[in-house]
Amino acid sequence: MNQLIKILEGIGSTLQLLVRSASYLPSLPRQFGRFVEQCYLIGYTTLPIVAILSFFIGSVLALQAGYSMQNFGAKQLIGALVGLSMARELGPVMVAILLAGRVGSAIAAELASMKVYQEIDALVTMNIPPARMLVMPRLVAVLVMVPVLAIIANLVGWFGGAIICSSTSFIGIEPTTYFATMRQNMEFKDVLNGLIKAEIFGFFVVLVCCNIGLNTRGGPREIGAAVTRAVVVSLILILVLDYFVTKALM
Amino acid sequence: MNNLQQTARVGLFFLLGLALIWVTFETLNGGKILKDEGYAITAGFESLKELKQGDEVRMAGVRIGEVQSTRLAGRRAEAILRIDPMVTIKSDATASIVTAGLIGTNYIGIDLGTAGVPDLVPREKTRSPRGFFSRILPFLQPEPEPIAEIQTKTAADLNSIMAQIGALGEKLESSLGSLGTAFAGDGKNPGLIQKIDGLVTDNREKLTATMTNIREITDKVNKGEGTLGRLISDPKLHDELVATLNEIKAGATEAKGFIANAQSIIDHVKQGKGAIGTLVFDEKIGDDIRSSVATLRTISDKISRGEGTLGKLLNDDSLFRDTQAIMKKADRALDGFDDTGPITAVGVVYRGLF
Amino acid sequence: MPTPEAHPASSSDPAAAAPAAAQAVGVSIENLSKQFGTFEVLKNVTFAVEPEEIFVLMGPSGSGKSVLLKHIVGLELPTSGCVTVDGRDAAAEDTREHVRMALVFQSGALFNSLSVFDNLALYPREHRVANAAGIREKVMRALQILSLENAAQKFPSELSGGMKKRVAIARALVMEPQLMLYDEPTSELDPVMSATISEIIATLKDEYHVTSLVVSHDRELALNIAHRVGILMGGSLVVVGTPSELKASKDPRVAEFLNPKIDLKNPRFKKLET
Repeated sequence: MNQLIKILEGIGSTLQLLVRSASYLPSLPRQFGRFVEQCYLIGYTTLPIVAILSFFIGSVLALQAGYSMQNFGAKQLIGALVGLSMARELGPVMVAILLAGRVGSAIAAELASMKVYQEIDALVTMNIPPARMLVMPRLVAVLVMVPVLAIIANLVGWFGGAIICSSTSFIGIEPTTYFATMRQNMEFKDVLNGLIKAEIFGFFVVLVCCNIGLNTRGGPREIGAAVTRAVVVSLILILVLDYFVTKALM
Repeated sequence: MNNLQQTARVGLFFLLGLALIWVTFETLNGGKILKDEGYAITAGFESLKELKQGDEVRMAGVRIGEVQSTRLAGRRAEAILRIDPMVTIKSDATASIVTAGLIGTNYIGIDLGTAGVPDLVPREKTRSPRGFFSRILPFLQPEPEPIAEIQTKTAADLNSIMAQIGALGEKLESSLGSLGTAFAGDGKNPGLIQKIDGLVTDNREKLTATMTNIREITDKVNKGEGTLGRLISDPKLHDELVATLNEIKAGATEAKGFIANAQSIIDHVKQGKGAIGTLVFDEKIGDDIRSSVATLRTISDKISRGEGTLGKLLNDDSLFRDTQAIMKKADRALDGFDDTGPITAVGVVYRGLF
Repeated sequence: MPTPEAHPASSSDPAAAAPAAAQAVGVSIENLSKQFGTFEVLKNVTFAVEPEEIFVLMGPSGSGKSVLLKHIVGLELPTSGCVTVDGRDAAAEDTREHVRMALVFQSGALFNSLSVFDNLALYPREHRVANAAGIREKVMRALQILSLENAAQKFPSELSGGMKKRVAIARALVMEPQLMLYDEPTSELDPVMSATISEIIATLKDEYHVTSLVVSHDRELALNIAHRVGILMGGSLVVVGTPSELKASKDPRVAEFLNPKIDLKNPRFKKLET
């Protein structure tokens, strides 16, 4: 019962934070410096790990598909399979999980320590709402940066699959064939679908992590707990949202 | 790192992302963003069979659009075809549902129509311009409303072809039946054979004279005298004869029927009946015939050795080939159906069967 | 958003802005009670602080002094009773937009990710009090007052405890507040630094028209600079009076709090155990 109330409290405070942050949107020009800084942290510095991971996810996808499809003589469809899976599902989900692990945890840790060391209280007495200075720029930054990360993840994953397909002896699909089947069986709609998903995931990951950070109570020990909670909640949220968003976008 | 550098990197990163999204978009959507939307026409069919949304529309094999939707309209099924902009269709062009592959991929085939016939949809109406937002997000563009209707024809499927073949067989049978009646007679009217018998009886003297003439001619021929003699002995005239024979070929069918009758005439003759019987068993005439036959034998010997024009003719393949061509033409005359994809296949089957 | 009257300066002249804004405000606390769960931290506390007064709130650790301060800035909401600042409910969000209050946290609560200069400049930048040059001038003036000019580019983690406190005070000063709240400003400081801080608090009202409410158990500070002193014990206000009145107080709790005798033969913690 207590747990349930806590969960409901969490949802409520997250939505409150969302509304409050949205109401501070007009002051974005004033927060432009912070916005750029967050863009840098969320987008630019996350790029390498996104690229590496999506490359290997694309490769593994091609490898597994090649292995299981050779029995059906449907190997030439690997391009379409990798393309669609990356664009519609794995690209967005992977970007969101990386954001949760790399950016969400950092946000939760930073805001939780600010809260524990009374910096948040100081902001409040200075009449600088934390939602305006700390949350809103991050939310806008994630909205701007996630599509970039997601499209790079898609492209790198596709190329990873193409390389594996042409270099693995038992698959042996040339990149030309690979990309031709991908083009034949995909539309931009599929990519856009994935970008929207990534956008939604990224946005909620940052929002939830901000909220958990800001609602930390107690001493320095709580900072670690807040980070753990932020990452766990983010991961659950991503996968639960994934189902509903996918369904809604169909 | 100073702020300016950071801002620049973020800006560059963002632009890179936009560029990549654009490239992906262009690649996957074939640059639809810059193109205008086409137009839509309806095509009514008795049945759409396996046709479904998204199937291709092809004109003379070139993809010009796709099936936008299918619907039931009253007593017929309608397919709404979205045609690419700037593609015009002649108003006498017809659409039909074509099966392309073994697993039943269907598409709508539209023929080119006749040159000079006005377009079904005037050229200036073949594109509907996109609004600003639908240029950015193409799926916002509403699907075009159909503005014309194309004529359709039902491409025969296997069932109807089989039915046609069955009907053809029936006709063939009945015509053969009447042919038999024509030869044998049906009680009231004399058949062809009775008529010939009567003919020979009435012209007994004339025939005797003819036979005498024939003997004289064959003698001459044997000696190489006269035109026919020269013709048989002289290979130079071969070419002319071939040309003549080609003309004669037209009458070949009638000749065939005649040969069939000949057998029965010979039966009559053996029994000594009628004019010919008398003719054959009269000794004086018999001698004449005997010498004629001897002459004929020498001719036939020549022929079997391949000498002379007629010999070449019989030992030459070209006659066989000509006959074959005539058979093919006849064959084609029989199948009066469409010459499109699946029917050709059926045609092959048909030819194999018969 | 700050209203024009509270923040008259988005003008480029910071010198003109400073005196116009300085209008000290009073605080009144009526029947304030606060409970955390079942634990009653504050019990029916009532007192008032006059404009431009220096009021020192004393009391043993855990008596609810810091919680009381948080009520005044609106960080905590009262269980019952009310706190008003300049006649406005302290719990209402817009009070902070009309009345500039600065709280000097016990820990300093400096922004660890920002340099000292940026810590001080945050408030004027966020509220567009002045242009960049004006902000720089204000910040350097506040740093000068607290002799921190050399620390401007340092980060909080590089500062000593005393310097952190001074930076926190400087940050509060930059806000040109109408009400200054200090939470243990002299704790963890050596006696000389404590005296320096006390002097700063006492002389501030000459430079800025400000009401000061100091929470401290520093007896020297309280008795030397306070106009009035209140003693909070176990969540209740025991006594309020001028330093001289307090010294003359016959209340044994007050007398012991102000002049505790260290009795090694009969230690207090032993008494507590029994």
